Amino acid sequence: MSSLPSTPAKVPFYRNLTALKWAFQIAAVLLVFALLYWLYSNYQENISKSNIQTDLRFLDNPANFTIPGNDFDQSQPVRDAFVQGFLNTIRVSFVGIILATILGTLVGIARLSKNFMVRTLGAVYVELIRNLPLLLLITFMNLGVVLQAFPRIEDAWVPLDLFVVSNRGIAIPWYLGPSGQLALIILAAVVIAFVVGKIRVRQADKSGKQDRAWLYGILTFALILISSWMIFGYSFETPLVDGRGTTGGLRIDPSLFALLASLVIYTSSHIAEIVRGSILAVNKGQGEAADAIALSGSQKMRLIILPQAFRIAMPAIGNQYLNLIKNTSLGATISYFELTQVAQITVGNGSPAVPAFTLTLLVYLGISLITSLVVNYFNRRLALVER
Amino acid sequence: MSSDLPSERGPVKRRSLQIVAVASATALFLAGCATAEEETTTATTDQATTTETVVEAAVSILDSVKEAGSVRCGTRDALPGFAVLNDAGEHVGFDSDFCRVIAAAVLGDASAVEMVDLETADRFTALQSGAIDVLVRNTTWTATRDGSEAATFLQPTFYDGQGMMVASNSGISSLSDMNGAIVCVAKGTTTEGNAALESSRLGLNWEVRSFDETDLILEAFLAGQCDGWSSDVSQLTGLRSSYPNGAAELVILGEVFSKEPLAPAVLDGDTAWAQAVNWAVLATIQAEEFGITSANVDSIRSSTTDVGILRFLGAEVPGSDGAAVLDPSLSLPTDFAYQIVKQVGNYGEIFAKHLTPLGLDRGLNSLWNDGGILYAPPYR
Repeated sequence: MSSLPSTPAKVPFYRNLTALKWAFQIAAVLLVFALLYWLYSNYQENISKSNIQTDLRFLDNPANFTIPGNDFDQSQPVRDAFVQGFLNTIRVSFVGIILATILGTLVGIARLSKNFMVRTLGAVYVELIRNLPLLLLITFMNLGVVLQAFPRIEDAWVPLDLFVVSNRGIAIPWYLGPSGQLALIILAAVVIAFVVGKIRVRQADKSGKQDRAWLYGILTFALILISSWMIFGYSFETPLVDGRGTTGGLRIDPSLFALLASLVIYTSSHIAEIVRGSILAVNKGQGEAADAIALSGSQKMRLIILPQAFRIAMPAIGNQYLNLIKNTSLGATISYFELTQVAQITVGNGSPAVPAFTLTLLVYLGISLITSLVVNYFNRRLALVER
Repeated sequence: MSSDLPSERGPVKRRSLQIVAVASATALFLAGCATAEEETTTATTDQATTTETVVEAAVSILDSVKEAGSVRCGTRDALPGFAVLNDAGEHVGFDSDFCRVIAAAVLGDASAVEMVDLETADRFTALQSGAIDVLVRNTTWTATRDGSEAATFLQPTFYDGQGMMVASNSGISSLSDMNGAIVCVAKGTTTEGNAALESSRLGLNWEVRSFDETDLILEAFLAGQCDGWSSDVSQLTGLRSSYPNGAAELVILGEVFSKEPLAPAVLDGDTAWAQAVNWAVLATIQAEEFGITSANVDSIRSSTTDVGILRFLGAEVPGSDGAAVLDPSLSLPTDFAYQIVKQVGNYGEIFAKHLTPLGLDRGLNSLWNDGGILYAPPYR
């Protein structure tokens, strides 16, 4: 009896806890890989049986379809169609994110308004929109609003003789001139305006006087834009109804309008809730301190509350941006030619499904990862440095 | 205190365990990849051997059909005129009748058919996997399908083509009136490419919009978002006849800008079965050329002296050595043509029964001696 504790009992391996843990982990990993391998070998077998391509050669085949609102020709390769689809996805995402952020912030602030009407309208908007499935919203926007509520081209609505609104699209006035050049000028103007604003802010900080730095920035921007507009001889062109369509100006495709409107409305309802929550999360003392030094209502919001609220909201809003980008794929249901629609059509026209959709998946993954990198960068910049 | 010790050590232990697990998993995965490649090669070789064996052993579908006593025919259940279900749950239509033609030829019984409804995307898979014996489902014969879908296409039953439908009050009377028009089509078909091609050929700058479903095209068309609706003429005819505002609101333009021969298809590499199906279809055309219908086939068979018709119907042909029945060794019963015409009808009868009511003209689908391109090789 006395010798028992001194010699440790030999535990059989099937009762050894460490061995069992190991065995289960390895078994789980093996099971996952076996499943993946089984699926992959099935795929390989089925593919080789039916003589279907597995590589990306199909990208060089002629696309055999056209893209509305685009110079894309059906004899161009599938590769170019994917590029156009990608650009359209980026276009909707970019504009959608900007508009949804603005609208979402306004509605979020409105929900906290002291005015009963504004507050209630904000609440109704948020609760109505965010509780709807997005696909339904897009379908309704396309079938109900664009197709039925917008006038036919014969009796198109022409407000101020500047716009042409019909169920074949919305045409807006647009400038005439090389597009790349203007984009560069705008970019340069934004950078210069930003620098000017920064300099004014620094001066104001030094002198201690109040300075409307943002006004200087906007004025600089406008000055550069107007002067280069005159120098390069750009001009505006207003759209006109011409038989079955419109000429001149920029035509926004009806499906693009339906998709963009739905995405902005839907995402803004989520952003509004995030903004509202973030404003409420800012320490109450901050607002009281702003009141104590006699800042006006808008100053309090603009200078004290919102900067701190956005710090809190940033990660959550970044998630909404990712959602919006991925949700653009629903445009395929109303035949907007974004990436998913291009993939579906090219597969319908004989491109192999698995490589085509794998490529599409990877492109979405790339866009999303880059977006979250950007959001994380700003998040790190904005985050409180705690000591 | 002693109970705290393991929990303190726990995370450290677990992490090392995780590292080892991940490492071993990676190793396994790499090994798996290598094996996968090898096995794929083996699989391909195996398969090649199997295919060869099948061809050599030549177990024809014709034999398995005769053994089973019924033909499994791939079809659909919702295309007016070609194949729809009637109130009694039976398949009715042009394609369905050609399924019956094949059964009448091979088995002598037009009702010995098992109709298998297929989705458009599944039709070739069903043929390749042997779920059906023959595909008669409104399918266009193209080189790519012939080559990469393991299908052999036979005598077309219907020569279709892509056309354009517009609103009657649109002022459009031909394709050349449609400059800058918006043309709506179904997504994922050859229709998109054909429309784009025709637009650039005529220099008309069409905007081709494609939709998931016919319902969505209909909505867009009704709302005036589309100027033209393009599809196969036979389909446009059906859609026009069921247009909510009445068929008179729509016009199908005369121009046809693609070739869409709709043909039955069988699996590659089975010549006996392919020939049997092919001659069953050809017999309906030949019967019309002879003027033999389901109503007069019996009287013609008993009274005619035309040697060609007697051979065709499998009747005894008087010759120098007495009477003989022509057996061209197609592995079909010698009276297969008689059974087809008697039980189903000739090509013209089938067309008149299902497609004429839709408002479709014979057009290209007339006999060769009547301005069409239906031409059966001589039966002798």
